[in-house]
Amino acid sequence: MAENSRTRMIMHIDADAFFASVEQGFNRQLRGRPVIVGGEAGQRGVVHTASYEARACGIRTGMPLIRAKKLCPRAVFIKGDFAHYRAVGESLREIYLRYTPRVEFTSLDDAYLDIGDSVHLFGSPVYMAREIRREAEEKTGVSLSFGIGGSKMIARIASGLDKPRGINHITPEHEKAFLRELAVEHLPGVGRRVKEKLVDLHIFTVGQMAVLPRLVAEQMLGKNGLTLWKMANGVDEREVERKVVPRQISRETSFPRDTGDEKAILGGLQYLTERIARRLREQGLSARTVGLKLGYADFSRAARAKSLERASSDGAEIFGMVRYLYGQMRLKRVHIRHIGVSVTQIRDKSVQGTLFEGPRRTEALNSAVDELRERFGFMAVMPAETLQLKSRYRNDAHGYILHNPALTR
Amino acid sequence: MKFEDIYEPIEVITHFQEGRLRPLRFKWNGRVYKIRQWNGFWINRQGSNRQYHFSVQADNSDFVELMFDDADLQWQIARVCLDG
Repeated sequence: MAENSRTRMIMHIDADAFFASVEQGFNRQLRGRPVIVGGEAGQRGVVHTASYEARACGIRTGMPLIRAKKLCPRAVFIKGDFAHYRAVGESLREIYLRYTPRVEFTSLDDAYLDIGDSVHLFGSPVYMAREIRREAEEKTGVSLSFGIGGSKMIARIASGLDKPRGINHITPEHEKAFLRELAVEHLPGVGRRVKEKLVDLHIFTVGQMAVLPRLVAEQMLGKNGLTLWKMANGVDEREVERKVVPRQISRETSFPRDTGDEKAILGGLQYLTERIARRLREQGLSARTVGLKLGYADFSRAARAKSLERASSDGAEIFGMVRYLYGQMRLKRVHIRHIGVSVTQIRDKSVQGTLFEGPRRTEALNSAVDELRERFGFMAVMPAETLQLKSRYRNDAHGYILHNPALTR
Repeated sequence: MKFEDIYEPIEVITHFQEGRLRPLRFKWNGRVYKIRQWNGFWINRQGSNRQYHFSVQADNSDFVELMFDDADLQWQIARVCLDG
């Protein structure tokens, strides 16, 4: 076991400002210019990704587009095209898999590679990283940053320190020194609230967190405290998993105009639910808890979640819960600007069969629907209520092109 | 600089070789554009069909995104980037 942990070598690859980088990679006129992906300048919505040139003007992810335009009037605003980003993500995936079969794809633009068994084929991990970076830039124009270390945590932290196009290799003998001086917010899981608690304890660096008695960390921050304490001490035994069960799958969209039209709202919610259900079935997963989020025209927000009796990947069943939650929440007489559906408590679909006819029929129906969509596109079979959206959004065989196309998946 | 979605059918002179296709010239709004530079291409799978997207630069230096849909063997001009 100790032998294994010494030879473990993990590479974390993170694409730099991915969506903006894809746009710059495929259009030379955009190179060197501030690029903002998320919507047009006058459109309402927020910045999804900003290129490094735009970041230099103070643009940040999540900033309203109108504010971004004021801060950086010469920026190029792009709505974005998720299908394009997904295709580029696929190309990156193919490149990584040529270097090792043990790859964990955590999103379109970042991945962990277990290179312990393949690094000797390339001489050194840094050379391997340079080769991957060169190949990715040649094929897609996207720039990548790399972190290499003995654990996923070290690799992840290292990849974020020298962006864009950085390669950081933290050797096992330097890991402790590397962590000691690092600001504590670099540890995964340290958000604003946790940081505030740690600052109260006068803990500013990972080194200070590491020398904290384990019990104090646990008492102050609960289960997360123990995980953080372990990480601060360089303990992270998480393996690179080829299949990862996500904690949450969510789909959200804003309406082009605030609306009080129940049919449009429910149609939108059902469409988002169908997309989630398809993703669950594609990956052989099911989910138990369903969440609904509403954003009102007065910028207030409401969210509620409830668990199903049993985990499901059936769009109609999940939407039944969404509709129930909507009925519980829709008390405010204010138009709606934003809707979102999420599922949590996701697990691998149970292989155990059922004695009852109903669920078996539903599964057979869903697999027939999936097959039709596989062949003819997502829009080949749609619940009737979602057709309400046809008058509001342009669609192709792949689905509706929603208000924020960068996120339309 | 502004991007505009067009998605209009167009005529394209294309070179097919060894399973690859490459647009050479296209006609849009009555004018023929020669493709000066290929910036890249990607494939968008839609069910069993594929859409081939090409990011190209026309001879007037405009950036254009062309799309070939193998469902109906039709070319479209998907997006243009307007300077200014």
